[in-house]
Amino acid sequence: MKIREKLGYTAAGLTVLAAVLVPFLLYGVFTKGFAALGLHVDEMYSGGPKVRTIHNAAYSIDIHRPVFPHMLQTEKPFVQLDWKPVSSLPGHVSDLVDVDGDGQPDVRVSFDVPKDPKTPLRVNVEALNPRYEAMRNVGKERFSKLIVRVDDAILVRVPLTHP
Amino acid sequence: MAPVTEYFTFGEALVLGLSSGPACLASCGPVLVPSLLADGAGVRRGSRYLSTFLGARFLGYLLFAAVAWELGARVSLPPAPRLLIMGVVHVLLAGVLLWYAYSVGRACTQSCGSELVAIGAVRKRGISGPAALGFLTGLSLCPPFVIAGVRAAELHSAVAALLFFAVFFVGTSVWFVPFISLGCVRRSQAVTTVARMAMALIALFYLFLGLAMLMGRNVYGR
Amino acid sequence: MAAEARILPHREIAPRSIGRSVLLTLPIVLWSLLIFSSSFRQPNRSAQIAGIMTAVFMIALFFMMMRTWSTYRWRRWFFVALGLLFPVGFIHTVMVMRGSMGIPMEEMIAGRTPFCFMPIPLLILPAALTRTVVFPGSILPGGGMSRSGIAAMMGVWLAITLVIGKGWCSYACFFGGIEEGVASLPKKAKLRKIDPRWRYGPWAVLLAMVLLSLALFEPAYCMWLCPFKAVSEYVAARNTVGLVQNGIFVALFAGLVVVLPWLTKKRTQCAFFCPFGAFQSIFNKTSVFDVKIDRTRCSPCVLCQNACPTMSLTAESIAQGETLMSCMKCGACVDACPKHAAVWHIKGTEVAVKPERARLMLLYAAWGMAVMFGGTIIAEGLAAILHVFV
Repeated sequence: MKIREKLGYTAAGLTVLAAVLVPFLLYGVFTKGFAALGLHVDEMYSGGPKVRTIHNAAYSIDIHRPVFPHMLQTEKPFVQLDWKPVSSLPGHVSDLVDVDGDGQPDVRVSFDVPKDPKTPLRVNVEALNPRYEAMRNVGKERFSKLIVRVDDAILVRVPLTHP
Repeated sequence: MAPVTEYFTFGEALVLGLSSGPACLASCGPVLVPSLLADGAGVRRGSRYLSTFLGARFLGYLLFAAVAWELGARVSLPPAPRLLIMGVVHVLLAGVLLWYAYSVGRACTQSCGSELVAIGAVRKRGISGPAALGFLTGLSLCPPFVIAGVRAAELHSAVAALLFFAVFFVGTSVWFVPFISLGCVRRSQAVTTVARMAMALIALFYLFLGLAMLMGRNVYGR
Repeated sequence: MAAEARILPHREIAPRSIGRSVLLTLPIVLWSLLIFSSSFRQPNRSAQIAGIMTAVFMIALFFMMMRTWSTYRWRRWFFVALGLLFPVGFIHTVMVMRGSMGIPMEEMIAGRTPFCFMPIPLLILPAALTRTVVFPGSILPGGGMSRSGIAAMMGVWLAITLVIGKGWCSYACFFGGIEEGVASLPKKAKLRKIDPRWRYGPWAVLLAMVLLSLALFEPAYCMWLCPFKAVSEYVAARNTVGLVQNGIFVALFAGLVVVLPWLTKKRTQCAFFCPFGAFQSIFNKTSVFDVKIDRTRCSPCVLCQNACPTMSLTAESIAQGETLMSCMKCGACVDACPKHAAVWHIKGTEVAVKPERARLMLLYAAWGMAVMFGGTIIAEGLAAILHVFV
């Protein structure tokens, strides 16, 4: 048998072996390898990492790092605030929030918390700091401007006026 | 002699252009890449195509900047007329892309010849395809252009604003140079057909976006 | 007029003996028992039965491949079952978890959009330039519909592609079976003359979608052009643009996956549109298995060309003794050839010398992947149906 043929059959045999190893080894190796690349889901979806938590009596407000979309993305920069747990929220929430951590309240966020989790949410945001955009009766307008319920938290995204 | 601050401003323009280059590439890519591939092969021809495209794009930038500055509206027009202009530009761009895809197919059945393909009548004088595409791409107000425009409009004169734009443009254009290498791709029937089909698909997408804008909906707007 | 292709062994060969067929099927029996052992132990009765049924189904099909020396028609049974049962299982799970096929923004924000393999080529450039995955899922398991996460699907895709290259499109893709099933229904094609330039369609869609995905920073194919949104899930329409998007999905599904396959008896979505298929074609260069035409035996009668569901054989390629890059290794041409000229082949070896050895090695690898990936999906779909009765 010529060398080329031997190599061909060897490669074919290795391929069959690889097929056997897929569920036991290769799948896990490739999955972990991909996870180790350090990629992250676009923050326009994920909302950015949490940087601070404000603790109120019965609930807390998580403040995320502001998200600045890439130049070609058409969403505005925004900051995400999470109220949780929903079960501990009063029927109407109206909170002054210090978003940038300078000790001064930046926005007043107001929304009703309906008992039925499927009821659409609406939020009003009063901008005390001109860096943030006011919102009036906003639902799920766009990724940079919305209020949604995700599991046991209510997320509000407030657009930034000046990056 | 220009004041020292002007040099800093033009330095800023160059840095802004260089940093915006990838975004310019990404926004121009859907028009530039398939049209460059559909055209004839050769590095020289690719260079001519690219320089025509970029030159026309530069004219589009300057035209809009000059008109906007002259009107005193800076670059930030009110949303409604801006959406209308963008809609018209997108529809025109779609039309030119489709027409160019057709023209290059007719012109380059054997070989493309030495002249860049013109849209319109193949044998008679027509508008250069890359020029039309570049000009319309320049008018389409990609985000880096808007940022540069806002900055340029803060300068004290129209000439300074136009110079700022020119330097910014040079900064972005550096990133386009590697596209000359697309001229090295062998132009088989497969390559040109793929490129023309891709142009048609992208044209349909731009047509949809343009029509949506004309109806007042900015599908991908802030 | 070109002769109609019969996708059956044209040649008159006695079937392989039952004993030898069973022997050759044994590895697949063991493999199936291994892969489905977990479903056998499930407390859920419908999942147990579905697992057993699927294992028997896959083993039976492989046995028939061995007994009859043919590949295509048995592989097609599996592939059609996969194409039909994936939407059943998927839509069932979606309705149970969300109550709707529309993906609401909440799910996208929570990273619970399930990751399909289709946008893989579109995500490469944005990820390379900005280290960002422009898909509303989770890298690791994120709960809900995200299942095992983006990394897991990437792992599966890479592993299977390494083993069978573009054979993914014949043994793993959970969408292609729908049109393959539709294409097999009519006896004759009503539309026979197809401009061969349409074969470049997938590459054009790939080029356009890669460029637009980078320009828009989103998976443009998923947002605008995927026909299979009609049988899986889609971004919930919140406005007119959303309605237009959903209209496009339904229209493309109807046209490319139902009407055109019916008229042409070809896998038209795969052959003329699918950008992922074009991307997978690249891996045919790295795959060790391919199909060759032995020119000493070839007539040419073009039966293989007519049989190919993706027009991956042309007069020029047959004259050169090979298929085009778009070959999915489905086996239609091999089974249709009356002269044993179209044969399975291992790169580096002589053409048409021991082609059955090449076929066996390919099938062990490919069917192993089919059992592991497609078989699991079939079992889930079956379980969803059986759950109604059991």
